[in-house]
Amino acid sequence: MTNVTKFYDNFRALNSVSLHVEKGEILGLLGPNGAGKTTAMRILTCFIPATSGSATVAGYDVFEDSLEVRRRLGYLPETPPLYHEMTVASYLNFIGEIRELPAKLRRERVNYVCERLGLKENLPRVIGTLSKGYRQRVGLAQAMLHNPDVLILDEPTVGLDPNQIIEIRSLIKDLSKDHTIVLSTHILPEVSMTCSRVVIINEGEIVAVDSVANLEKAGAGKPVWKITLAARSGGNWRQIIDKIAGAEIADLKELPETAEFKLKLEKPEDFDGLFRKMAADGFVFREISPVKATLEDIFLKLTSGEERKEAA
Amino acid sequence: MKIFAIMKKELQAFFYSPVAYIVFASFLMIVGYLFWVILISSSMASLEPMLYNAAFILMLASPVLTMRLVSEEKKSHTIELLLTSPVSPFEIIFGKFLACFVLYLVLIALTLQYPLILSSYSTEFDMGPVYSGYIGLVLLGAAFISLGLFASTLTENQIIAAMISFGGLMLFWIFGWAKNIFDNAFGQILGNLSIFDRYAEFLRGIVDSGNVIFFLIFTLTWLFLAIRVLESDRWR
Repeated sequence: MTNVTKFYDNFRALNSVSLHVEKGEILGLLGPNGAGKTTAMRILTCFIPATSGSATVAGYDVFEDSLEVRRRLGYLPETPPLYHEMTVASYLNFIGEIRELPAKLRRERVNYVCERLGLKENLPRVIGTLSKGYRQRVGLAQAMLHNPDVLILDEPTVGLDPNQIIEIRSLIKDLSKDHTIVLSTHILPEVSMTCSRVVIINEGEIVAVDSVANLEKAGAGKPVWKITLAARSGGNWRQIIDKIAGAEIADLKELPETAEFKLKLEKPEDFDGLFRKMAADGFVFREISPVKATLEDIFLKLTSGEERKEAA
Repeated sequence: MKIFAIMKKELQAFFYSPVAYIVFASFLMIVGYLFWVILISSSMASLEPMLYNAAFILMLASPVLTMRLVSEEKKSHTIELLLTSPVSPFEIIFGKFLACFVLYLVLIALTLQYPLILSSYSTEFDMGPVYSGYIGLVLLGAAFISLGLFASTLTENQIIAAMISFGGLMLFWIFGWAKNIFDNAFGQILGNLSIFDRYAEFLRGIVDSGNVIFFLIFTLTWLFLAIRVLESDRWR
């Protein structure tokens, strides 16, 4: 996608968005609701045209060679596009027909896909009677039936129970061996669990593009450790710790048995000395753990208005 | 063939829901009643009045058959599936048209029992107007369905689609009245657009190539417009 802009009447849904997905990669589109994730996907799948800019999928332009693009693409929209009155078998057979699969291959693929998605026993069932999780799977089956080069999944785990979410995520990871995958989500852990690269979109603009690991590093800032100490009598905790540690303290929680807080230092190596000092001073450690910046922090940092002004 | 895949799917959909059964049952009931009443009251072995009334009932019934064709796809987001798969709007519209047309043909084929009854009891029953009448009915059906299909592409609300197609068909049905009021070119043009006037000629036993071509052009025009509307959804 290069410089893609999309207007809905006067509303700018995407503002010169450019992104590139490598073969075999899982790219996560991350953003709050209304950020433009679905719009970007719809442009890639030839469902709507871009107001300006161009996009290519597998070397074909979505505008000029729309048919070729659509042949190479599997798409699971936000609402799985299911005919509720059809059975799973007749639905998938119909998909195979409009996806131009010859009869023999169609049967093989339906079998294979159902095997992989655990839909075998549900083949004769009417889609309308299936639970939401199974409908999502049928939607996914529909997208991957013709073994497309590129899979575009719009919020594939929405509305599933935790077990199913884990299943679908591992399935998506598994699928990336044969397909290039673009998925959108507003659930942050999903991205760190499945995607190799993340694009963060907010209000139609790309805020960040990087690997999950790099983004975590970027958001980390000063090293932070979470510490729990056994309670000790006498005096104000903050003062005691201040005196000994000489470090920034945050989120202090005083409980009857323990005290919890976060320590911030300039350099990671300073912590060793500090912990030694604290131990020598008679503090009893219950827990020491490094605090990793989550994508959540990075996300908030990147999408909140203040931070962006600072960056500018 | 992707057209036939879509046609098959649509035909299945008609029979998965009770719509087709109910349209069939009520149409056949009314036509049966008409046949009986007209035959008793006129004591004439003529199918013309029945075919005339049957066409009017089909005009009322066809929006019910066509209203869901595209509207439902829009409402349930399955249109996203069709438009992102390698299927062209032409294939979608023609597949859907053919499905509905096949259903319509079955429906009117079920009324063929009445001319058979008449011909078996009457020695000098003229089959000519029956043949031409049924040719007219088939062409009329294609016209009804194409306009209904076009209306269905306009909205995701089935009631609105039904009302648009009913209003449109009714208008084309009564355009001929203007011919009697305005004795000028304007009245003539409106009269020429009347699907009823043209259908009436078939009932009199006349298969005028002009009328046949009119119905074909009428049908293709609405189908073409339906394809354009479906394509234009991509532009907006």
